Amino acid sequence: MAALPTMRPLGCLRSLWNAPDMIPSQITRRCLSTVYSQRPKRVPLPQGVPEQFLSQLPTRMRPENAPKPIKVFNPPPSARKACTDPVAKVTESQLETLDPKGERKALFDYRRNPRSVRPGDIVRVTFKNGDPFNGVVLSIKLRGIDTSFLLRNELTRVAVEMSVKVFNPNIQSVEIVQRAQRKIRRARLYYMRSRKHDRRSVENIANAYVRQKKAFMGAGSRK
Amino acid sequence: MIQLKTLLTCIDNSGASIVECVNVLKKKRPATIGDRIVVVVQKQRAATSEGSSGTALANKVRRGDIRHAVVVRVKKELQRADGTVVRFGDNACVLVNKSGDPIGTRMNGVVGQELRGKQWSKILSLAPVNV
Amino acid sequence: MAPRLSGKLAQLSQSLGLWEIPLTIPQISIRNFGIRSLNPPKPSRFNNHPGLPVLESTSTAALRRKAFSLPLRTGAIGIKKGMTAIFDTETGKRIPCTVLQLDRVEVVSHKTREKHGYYAVQVGAGWKHPRNMPNSLLGHFSAQGLSPKRHVFEFRVKDESGLLPVGESIPASWFQEGQYVDARSNTKGKGFAGVMKRHGFHGQDRSHGVSLTHRSMGSAGPSQGGGSRVYPGKKMAGNMGNTQNTVQNLKVLKVDAESGIVVVSGAVSGPKGCVVRIQDAIKKPWPEVASTPAATATAA
Repeated sequence: MAALPTMRPLGCLRSLWNAPDMIPSQITRRCLSTVYSQRPKRVPLPQGVPEQFLSQLPTRMRPENAPKPIKVFNPPPSARKACTDPVAKVTESQLETLDPKGERKALFDYRRNPRSVRPGDIVRVTFKNGDPFNGVVLSIKLRGIDTSFLLRNELTRVAVEMSVKVFNPNIQSVEIVQRAQRKIRRARLYYMRSRKHDRRSVENIANAYVRQKKAFMGAGSRK
Repeated sequence: MIQLKTLLTCIDNSGASIVECVNVLKKKRPATIGDRIVVVVQKQRAATSEGSSGTALANKVRRGDIRHAVVVRVKKELQRADGTVVRFGDNACVLVNKSGDPIGTRMNGVVGQELRGKQWSKILSLAPVNV
Repeated sequence: MAPRLSGKLAQLSQSLGLWEIPLTIPQISIRNFGIRSLNPPKPSRFNNHPGLPVLESTSTAALRRKAFSLPLRTGAIGIKKGMTAIFDTETGKRIPCTVLQLDRVEVVSHKTREKHGYYAVQVGAGWKHPRNMPNSLLGHFSAQGLSPKRHVFEFRVKDESGLLPVGESIPASWFQEGQYVDARSNTKGKGFAGVMKRHGFHGQDRSHGVSLTHRSMGSAGPSQGGGSRVYPGKKMAGNMGNTQNTVQNLKVLKVDAESGIVVVSGAVSGPKGCVVRIQDAIKKPWPEVASTPAATATAA
């Protein structure tokens, strides 16, 4: 029909012919899709279907293929519940061997024990290899097994600071040489590092204490 | 923490008073107690105070000499195997010759015990106190 | 080299040559045909002479190579609980250590050479509420008669002798005091980190005309001479941490089977509460232990 080029413009007439047909059909389709319809409810299989009809059901709906409940097993006894704080347990077992009577712990528990070492005291530490170290206690760090105290002294006019772990098995003894003379208002006496507040050498005080102790012990042994 | 340009006090009677580190030997990190370093003598000890015999000793090294030294005290805290931490008030060293023997004959001042573990027991025995 | 018959043809002619004479025609030497080349044949450019060893590119060969670096027995899943120190009373040494806890560690299943291509033990630990677990996983555990596990990991073992029976529990006494282990865990996540923090780049100058790029990467590579592209693996800013890290050769200092505590020397990657996989150290001699945990428990 449209083979002749002169007839080509007439082709639009055909679309005109078709148009009234198309437009209403589109509108109706649109209307149908927007209408809300509820989803059909599932109709459960009737109970007790005779066995001869079961073969007509899809395999997944047959009773022998119904989902089986998974048996959940109970967990074994929990180690986590048995020991909620393993780090503390390891620390305790350490302390049992290192500090069986708890004396060391009490000696540095300055928050609770009034007789303990306190910052500002002069302390003498003797190590197992015989070396002593004297110094002013600048701070006590309470950290369980890593509890330590910081001593400061001046040896041959050179300041020396030593932080010693309280439960270090290399420590022979810790003695309080002298209590703090004034009430100390701080827990950390780092200001003593400044030149103005430096206690300088406490070696003389410690030596006097050792002499006194020796005399006392000697007197005791003579009796 | 002894590294290039660190000033150390020299605590032996070799004649040097203040030395400057110019190299840390056998190590890629800052030197600590027991490490060998190369130093330049920056300040001589006043020779007059020690008399005629002292002058001879004091002349062992001069200002500008380049010598080997062993660090004996450091400000940076050092942790030992038992958890003890030691810190000194200054950085100090002792001059040694190339074979590792101390140049001075006497030492005045406390030194660290780490020298023992690092084959410097000769210096340790010369020192009046060790910590 | 003289030209020769191919092997198959030669065999064929020999086997049939006795009573089927017409087939022996190919036995006539090829040399007699045509003109011999004046140039001797060149040796092959490729290394293909008969005495070469077999190329070991098979999966069997791969397993054989790997066997040297595979532990004999399975490992366990632990939770990092924190760090503390242990004092050695004899030497007076203080040893920093990490406390790990094994909680209800059990063998869940096996991976075998026949089925999966390698030997491994799948191990589970902890407990997860079955409500929070998909049915497929729940069935995986229930099929073995196990409670649902929170953490599941595989531990490769050398051969089937290392496959601990499924359902067997692995107590802390699976590890002996004094033996060495490798601890594998995820490092602490640092988030999106710049190149200075992530790769230790030096950054750029504070001044000298540098503006706004003090901590940035300099150049990402050469220009036209280098192909005008950024090479794969170029170190750049990105997510740092939270990647798996193995710390090798940690000594087991303490073992407490009741509370599931394993104390190893030194540090283990990751924050407190992270999952740590511990297995016999591959760079130390294997510990001499019985292969079942029950036996180790009685021995301990």
